[in-house]
Amino acid sequence: MGFPTAPLVTIAFKDLAKSNAANRGMPGERICFLPHPMTNKSDEQMYAVLEGNDPVTNKPLMAEIIDALTKPLTADEKKTGMVNPDIGPATYVGTQDELQRLYCDNNMTDFMPIILPTAEKVEAMLKGTSHSPDEVVGKLSAAQGAQPSWSFTVKHVAINAVMAGASPEYLPVILAISATGQPALFSSTSSFSRMVLLNGPISDQIKMNYGIGAMGPFAEPNAVIGRAWTILSKNLGGCGRPGETYMGSLGSNFNYNNLCIAETENKLPDGWKPFHVQKGFKPDESVVSIFSGWSLNNVAWFPNMPYHELIKNWLTHFFSFGTAAATLLLDPTVARDAKDHGYNSKEALSDYWSKNSKTPAWLYWDTHRNELKQAQAGVEPYASYLKMGDGEIPFQRFYRRGRPGAPPDPNPKSSIEVVVLGGETNTYWAGGDFSYVTSASVDKWR
Amino acid sequence: MKINRRKLLSLLGVSPAILAGSPAVADDKKKKHAVPHGQEKVETLNPKGLPPPIQLFPMAPRLDTVDGKTIFLVSDGFAGADRFLNQIAVWFSKNKPSVKTVYRLKAGSYFDNDPKLMAEIKASGNAMIMAYGH
Repeated sequence: MGFPTAPLVTIAFKDLAKSNAANRGMPGERICFLPHPMTNKSDEQMYAVLEGNDPVTNKPLMAEIIDALTKPLTADEKKTGMVNPDIGPATYVGTQDELQRLYCDNNMTDFMPIILPTAEKVEAMLKGTSHSPDEVVGKLSAAQGAQPSWSFTVKHVAINAVMAGASPEYLPVILAISATGQPALFSSTSSFSRMVLLNGPISDQIKMNYGIGAMGPFAEPNAVIGRAWTILSKNLGGCGRPGETYMGSLGSNFNYNNLCIAETENKLPDGWKPFHVQKGFKPDESVVSIFSGWSLNNVAWFPNMPYHELIKNWLTHFFSFGTAAATLLLDPTVARDAKDHGYNSKEALSDYWSKNSKTPAWLYWDTHRNELKQAQAGVEPYASYLKMGDGEIPFQRFYRRGRPGAPPDPNPKSSIEVVVLGGETNTYWAGGDFSYVTSASVDKWR
Repeated sequence: MKINRRKLLSLLGVSPAILAGSPAVADDKKKKHAVPHGQEKVETLNPKGLPPPIQLFPMAPRLDTVDGKTIFLVSDGFAGADRFLNQIAVWFSKNKPSVKTVYRLKAGSYFDNDPKLMAEIKASGNAMIMAYGH
């Protein structure tokens, strides 16, 4: 930038800030640290922070800020050139126990035992694809734009697939997931979860379970493919280093398996398209689809109303980190109930929900501060909304909207996705704040 | 001359035990040299991908003093950063009144560059204090 800078960061982000500075070529950047958190402090409390010490160096904070701007540069701070990050040796040698410990201690696993990736096992894994081991598959980053993007080859993916316990026939699926460039572990403090959905012939070919217990630990490919995504995100994208490239405060148990599921395509109501066909693929193509979100409600409730009405009401009141997108995972019995009530496609059902669900008043005002000011100034329709008290505001939040400031779309699309899966043992369903991210061909990687 | 085969093998440096044909003897030998179960050494592959090389940048020359200089106080957009930077402005006005402070909100997400603002600071300022992460 050409002028001296003193960046201020709260202490919770010490490792992240330092590694980020190093990754961007200034390992000695003069970062000054503040207590954490700062967000809710009063002005007086903030001023007291300035009069206090940097919690890392224990030196007076303002003196340190001024030093950061004025102290002459050291030789290290003037360095130029290129540096290659150290990723360790090409191979490791040890007993099975020693190596299990080594992979664990170096955060290369999900902290459960792995299959040790010997050259023989990796060679056998590579038979699962026609692609060259040296072919570059893509790039992964813990947060695109904020963290470095690592590149990786087919062989790298195969090594990680072995570690997760995969069979060679799963490799094209794992390659397709990694080729999307979407990490299973995202660096955000909000503890993102991911979901991966399989569609097409691949589900039966590798014996994915989409019947009873479709979301549980009841089939090898469901378990292993989801696990592989987390392991490869750590090793191929540098993701999942707590305090550095992973900041999720609570973390998410979903990250162990990333909700690896397949759609029950053979039980879809007549006229309902499989998810990949909705996204433009042909029915006989094998496809993975990636979703991003935080949480799921597993709803076991027998309503005195049709299920689509129950779900509409749930959508009105559902709230988590995400408030503008949802994915519904319907048992085939619930899907058939909706079909029996006249919903001849998933899209018709999504549109109904988007048009007819509302927003609780507290949530509306909490996420619409400018509208609150207008309501208080008597501007309609906000003033009328405010008169509704604690009720439901007729604001439909489940639509795809442009970035803030973009002109409104006259025909916005529903942001509600529908997937059908499960074993028909009861009329249950699950819903959550997952939004669709992208889909990728599995066949390309066979 | 009749040569004892056992003697001959010994002279050649080969153990006469091989003539015994006794599996028990051979097994005993194996047991003496076998690696205990679980102690065999295995070679495995590093599972890591390829992080990009890092270009090192020299830091900008420092000021000799902040006195009389213009310091831009830049918020990266996290909640409360604007109020905190205002308190820094208050601190300078009380403790180093010759320092001029200018507040700006950086455009874009917290990790986006704001070239327009950086150009403004380079043209009309001397230094930047940026705050903060949460």
